[in-house]
Amino acid sequence: MNRTAPPAVELDGVTRRYGETTAVEDLSLSVRDGEFFTLVGPSGCGKTTTLRLIAGFEDPTRGEVRFGGESVTGVPPEDRDVGVVFQNYALFPHMTVGENVAYGLSFTDPPGGGSDEARVRELLELVDLGGMADRDPDTLSGGQQQRVAMARALAPGPDVLLLDEPMSALDAKLRERLRVQVREIQQELGITTIYVTHDQEEALAVSDRVAVMRDGTPEQVAPPRTIYREPATEFVATFVGDNNVLSGTVTAVRSTVRAEDADNSGDESGYSIAGVTVDDTTLSVALNGDSDPTAVVSSGDRLTFCVRPERLAVDADRNAVTATVTSAEFLGETTRVHLDWEGRELLLRVEDPPTGAVTVGFAPADAHIVDRQP
Amino acid sequence: MARDFDGGADGADSEKMTETASSPSSKRGRTVRNTIERRAIVGLAVATIALLLGIFYYPVATVFIDSVLVDGRWTGRVFVSILQDPFYFGEPARLLAGEQVGAVIESVLSPDRRLGVIGFTAYQAALSTVASVALGLPAAYLLARYEFPGRRTLRSLTILPFVLPSIMVGVGFVATFGRNGTLNAVLGALGLGQVNLLFTLEAVVIAHAFYNAPLVARVTTAAWESVDASAVETARSLGASPFRAFRDVVAPQLYPSVLMGAALTFVFTFSTFPIVLALGGFQLATVEVFVYRLIRDLEYAEAAALALIELGISLGLLYAYLCYEAKHTVRSRGIRPLPRRPLTPPSFSVRELLPRMGLAVYAVVALAVFVAPIASMILASLSGPEGLTLANYQFLIDRQTTGASFQVQPWDAVRNSLLFGVASLAVALPMGVVVAVLTTRDYRGRKLVDAVAMAPLAVSGIVVGLGLLRGLVFGVEVGGSRLAVGGGLAIIAAHAVAGYPFVVRTVAPGLEGVDHTLVESARALGAPRARALLDIELPLVWPAVIAGAAFAFAISIGEFSATIVLASGTNQFTMPIAIERFIGRRLGPATAMGVVLLVVTSASFLLIDRLGGDEVGF
Repeated sequence: MNRTAPPAVELDGVTRRYGETTAVEDLSLSVRDGEFFTLVGPSGCGKTTTLRLIAGFEDPTRGEVRFGGESVTGVPPEDRDVGVVFQNYALFPHMTVGENVAYGLSFTDPPGGGSDEARVRELLELVDLGGMADRDPDTLSGGQQQRVAMARALAPGPDVLLLDEPMSALDAKLRERLRVQVREIQQELGITTIYVTHDQEEALAVSDRVAVMRDGTPEQVAPPRTIYREPATEFVATFVGDNNVLSGTVTAVRSTVRAEDADNSGDESGYSIAGVTVDDTTLSVALNGDSDPTAVVSSGDRLTFCVRPERLAVDADRNAVTATVTSAEFLGETTRVHLDWEGRELLLRVEDPPTGAVTVGFAPADAHIVDRQP
Repeated sequence: MARDFDGGADGADSEKMTETASSPSSKRGRTVRNTIERRAIVGLAVATIALLLGIFYYPVATVFIDSVLVDGRWTGRVFVSILQDPFYFGEPARLLAGEQVGAVIESVLSPDRRLGVIGFTAYQAALSTVASVALGLPAAYLLARYEFPGRRTLRSLTILPFVLPSIMVGVGFVATFGRNGTLNAVLGALGLGQVNLLFTLEAVVIAHAFYNAPLVARVTTAAWESVDASAVETARSLGASPFRAFRDVVAPQLYPSVLMGAALTFVFTFSTFPIVLALGGFQLATVEVFVYRLIRDLEYAEAAALALIELGISLGLLYAYLCYEAKHTVRSRGIRPLPRRPLTPPSFSVRELLPRMGLAVYAVVALAVFVAPIASMILASLSGPEGLTLANYQFLIDRQTTGASFQVQPWDAVRNSLLFGVASLAVALPMGVVVAVLTTRDYRGRKLVDAVAMAPLAVSGIVVGLGLLRGLVFGVEVGGSRLAVGGGLAIIAAHAVAGYPFVVRTVAPGLEGVDHTLVESARALGAPRARALLDIELPLVWPAVIAGAAFAFAISIGEFSATIVLASGTNQFTMPIAIERFIGRRLGPATAMGVVLLVVTSASFLLIDRLGGDEVGF
């Protein structure tokens, strides 16, 4: 029998209710061994509850959580071999840094033998805090406390590392530096890591795969690039990065397209194009997928598609519309320009912001369809 | 930074970790000890509930059965006769007895209407509540809004009445308002003649205010301090005058606390006992005093029924209050409390002077109500016919060496008090901690556990004493043999029941305040729940545990109601009982004993105050 290894962590149809409110609804996810998996979504989307269900702090109302293929229903947190880092670090205030890191070793031997002291030293060095063992946690900075929490969670050699918004209490610069360090440590140890954040940028930056959650269910589970380039839903399209979302009625579908029609950036691969009429303007939108798209999209369908602001080009000739600049935000490298196009807001990202009336357009292939209603 | 400390080791170490992190050898070993720790919480919970059933619920149930099982027959007769007796229920009782509504209303409106014992009890409780709120609110205003040296000390002193034995306060009031008391001495020196407030309703109400005004002040101050200054400032910037801002923003945040103080005061004073016994005698008997009298007359059925009616009324009130509270708990923790004003006026304008003059008047009243009784008691204990003397203390020592066996032996009382205090503490402390743990965790049925564990707070000492007397001291028939508990053990049980809710009330807020992620972190690191409690929560709240212990000890030392029921006819009397025996005949020794009691309870208070009395959840 040749079976693939079971996922390190698996949620199978998990629902969690608190009285009337449902925090997580029929959630199924699997996290591979050694993967850096991120749950991202707005507050209240159920991502923290999901993490707590995995840690064993909550029990599913329905469904099952499995570790390595085995159900952990009824297994208390202390027997799940998980390491948890909380947003507030939750360092034990009455213990020194060293005692904090050593605490988990009172219940298990240090992995790979050796003494508890050696293990504590090893972990503190791993997080760049060697020599801090005798300090009190409250004498450390936020970033240092966060790393102590990380060392403490890793000390007993957990199978899974769970990080619940571990950086949201830190300032932006430190956050960026620490997330690189967290990723490095995760890679070094090869430990399965589940990371919860509301910061989509952070999610894209560190993860192997991302689950974008909304109202207790994942909208899309995919690697960061896919999430960004091919959002599965309108929610994902707008939650992750800026986006222009437009809806219209399909007025034409062409399955054979000349290369120059398809893409003015020089992409030679031909694909199908739908003519989508938004108000009075018909825009050409490349159809997703490689099977015959005319089979799924037909005239009269309502299509919702999105175009990233950086894909909108000033003075482009494909899909050109005329809009008026309403405001501009200078972001440093680029400027985010808010445009008004017949009562709709469009976003444009350029280095040199235009003013007044401006013509913008996009290549059909830069449009990504997120919804189709027959 | 710290990487320099041992730069080269990182790579090698992490390789080792990579190897071992997922290897099965790192799986946690399960030991027998782990299994015990795992079950520890459940075991402790079961033991605590069992103990509570044994020393509280079973005895109280006996009282209930006493009232409905008369001469071996089940009957509601005792209840019905109490409810229909104008002696207890006043004129409304005649309604229950089936008389004409019109006639009853007529006599209720007539000047010589009868209130009945229960009516009078409610009446004095209402007066006491009004007096307590009236005396408590200015204190809250002073404490919350003014800065002056000793403010913190004064604030912590508001917890003191909780630990002062009520019989001792009674002695203090006798020493103040009695025929030869301080008040008459002062009035005499001023040539204003004599008053006798003893055995009047006024004295009882003032004594109740002594007890409960600090409670009102305490809860109101807390609410006032949690008003966010920016809310008031917002109101002012929107055009509200200082008075309007107070009325619209501050006052609504104070009402719930004032009501809480008033509700608790009413319930406490409704079931008052030692104060009335010491200051009112049987002329001003409240329900509780009558219950005691009925017990002395061995009228157990009637005593039990009356006590249960009283309990029903108290619980009903408490329940009504809790329902209100549940709907109105919008406690906004003030991010920035209102600034305090200096007590010395910065300028001599009317607006600055008026409130301070009011406070000055209040200070005189407060001195008379709160300080005079204690000072008078100390003074009286040191004075004799020929001025200052230690004769009263000498009397206590002499009585110990020469007294007859039926007389109160002072040293025995002190020894018994300390013994019962320590023994009941040994029971109350673990019980209280376990209950605090059980009531601060989330699980189904938590509310029930909460109610079951906190009920002793609402049940009067007399009922507990009576229950223990009937249920345990008189013995239980078990399989043909009779199991009886000694009077001393029953007193310890009663004191533990009286004391452990205070442990819960001090420890629970502490536990509530412990960040739950600390416990969760410990558990994720492999600690069973009981270990997390032992390693993380208890070390973090230990000051509250010690404060709770001091509370329980002080409650035991001062406990009167249950003890007098259980100690009558035995030599198991405690200091408060000794005071009660002395009070009628020899005020001097009673005050001397009171001072001894004051010293012991003040020491407990200091301990509570130093170690987190501010957290007490009242």
